[in-house]
Amino acid sequence: MKVLSSPMLGNQTNSAPIDVSPQPVIAASARKSAPWLRNPDSRLWKIVRPVGMVALFLTAWGLAVRLSHSALFPTPGNVVRGIAELIEKGLLLKYIIASLFRVSWGFTLAVVIGVPLGLVLGWYSRAFQAFNPLIQIFRPISPIAWIPVAILWFGVSDAAPIFLIFLASVFPITVSAIAAVQNMQLVYLRAAQNFGLSTGELFRQVIFRACLPQIITGIRIALGVAWLVVVAAEMIAVNSGLGYLIIDARNAGKRYDLVVAGMVMIGLIGLILDLLVRQLEKFDEVRWGYSR
Amino acid sequence: MTMSLRRSLLIIAVGWLALITLLHAAINLHAFHPKSAAIEQKKFRIGFLPVTCHLTCPVTDFINKQLTGDNIFEPVRFNGWPELKEAYLSGYTPATFILAPMAMALREQGVPIKIVYLGHRDGSAVMVHKDSHIYRMEDLRGKRIAVPNRFSNQRLLVFRALKQAGMTIDDIELVEMPPPDMPAALYAKAVDAISSGEPFMGQTELDGYGRVLWLTKDVWPNFISCVLAVHEEMIKTKRDTVQRLVDGIAKSGKWIDKSMAHRMETAQFVSKFYYNQNPRLLTFVLTKPPDRVKYTNLTLRKPDFEEIEQLGRESGILNGSAHFEDYTDASFVTDESAVQPYAWEPNEQRAH
Repeated sequence: MKVLSSPMLGNQTNSAPIDVSPQPVIAASARKSAPWLRNPDSRLWKIVRPVGMVALFLTAWGLAVRLSHSALFPTPGNVVRGIAELIEKGLLLKYIIASLFRVSWGFTLAVVIGVPLGLVLGWYSRAFQAFNPLIQIFRPISPIAWIPVAILWFGVSDAAPIFLIFLASVFPITVSAIAAVQNMQLVYLRAAQNFGLSTGELFRQVIFRACLPQIITGIRIALGVAWLVVVAAEMIAVNSGLGYLIIDARNAGKRYDLVVAGMVMIGLIGLILDLLVRQLEKFDEVRWGYSR
Repeated sequence: MTMSLRRSLLIIAVGWLALITLLHAAINLHAFHPKSAAIEQKKFRIGFLPVTCHLTCPVTDFINKQLTGDNIFEPVRFNGWPELKEAYLSGYTPATFILAPMAMALREQGVPIKIVYLGHRDGSAVMVHKDSHIYRMEDLRGKRIAVPNRFSNQRLLVFRALKQAGMTIDDIELVEMPPPDMPAALYAKAVDAISSGEPFMGQTELDGYGRVLWLTKDVWPNFISCVLAVHEEMIKTKRDTVQRLVDGIAKSGKWIDKSMAHRMETAQFVSKFYYNQNPRLLTFVLTKPPDRVKYTNLTLRKPDFEEIEQLGRESGILNGSAHFEDYTDASFVTDESAVQPYAWEPNEQRAH
């Protein structure tokens, strides 16, 4: 299936056998010294590699700032102190909750509307003909371009950023659901038709389930996009959120440490969100779609 | 196992939405404070930006709260001109601090907006990098100058200075840039000169890489950049509310200018509670020199606006279809000398 080739999918099911098989060989030769040091696939190394890379990156960043004698760009130390200051003032939790609130609702609306819409458009080719150009026209428009519209429609309430996040994430979800239906194996449909399922049953029992793995992929990408646009969405004059933190810090004079602190927090939460969505792949229903 | 995914997903999703909504409502919206929600409903909102041109907005709010524990309006801080303008157009903020030429242009385009009072006088500058060899307007020939917006008076200021130096707009390159980004742009020498409201100009001086080419008070005395404007409908239906608002703004303007101690105190509470900036910055621009920006003499005068109109037409942002009587209502404060500053002293507040 197409899903297999997607580089976006961390394939956890495949990594397990690789872990196990070389162990007896290496373990036998290195039993006297620390075996986990010699084994390049041991748990320790799995932690050391990413942590080491991050440490290397931070060192290079700190050195670059020092060597360039920049008076404006913050060092990693400045940023950590900035984050500590935000925690002290109780702002960090506030802002994280505000951003998660907006992304949660915007994204949920996108899923609730995008998935059924995609399934229907994928199934009825005439509806697809009618709607596809509109979808393709709206899809590349950046949420930033929608800001004036959002303010005119929703004022400066929470609804405006939620609307922007919805817009950014609904299209990847719809498009992946459409593609999933269109690429569905005909054998499922034939079988379903032989059983004489009604349209509603066909969608719920067959099409939705057959397409679920690919829909999940779309949802995972869309969640990344939803979180990505949080800064742009919070450029509207809301008074909380990590995006607001970045814009507010630009207003505050020479506080680029807080700008980068906002970036770091957005990145870390994005990492956690991605790890959580990956957990979905552990469910049988999703996994069967990947089986060869 | 077949139902497990859908069911657990649904439970997790609904649970998460409920949790995050409750937390947001409690922590950010203060929805569980019975007092605040009811009062906020009645108040009208005023848009402002964290610049000294809009300083009387937070000062009025703060002093009112100190004196009566409440205020008649809710100040809403924006981060850029387009968002501020769009919030006014959508009716979200029926009153707003706004660039004078922007309000005039909106009026020309048929927007029911009336300027009722000035925000300040002076309080702008053109800054260059301290390493540059730019000492006069003539030295800016062929250079890149950043202004906040095409409707900003800073842009008109540049036009006026060009005229005085016998140059034209073709001799320089004008770029639009949000004021908060200007200090970094000047530091990185991405532009040769920057011009916007304070405190972003003072910041470059304070941080040691900016040099004043000229302050507005040297080139265009009594310069106006921002004004208080309200929706025409509000003047008709809630005239007394607008009157109270303008009185408050006038009183706090007089209060700021009454003494150096007031200016120092203003820098402290505005930085902390409204602008979220380092108090050092506002202290600097409000005191060095003290007449860098002024908050008295703020009644609307026809000649001031006629001059802006003329420059606006010459620079192509106004078409001349709206005049002083169309875009202003000067009737709220006609004689500023009768306005008394707020009777509030910072020390009283500390005693409480």
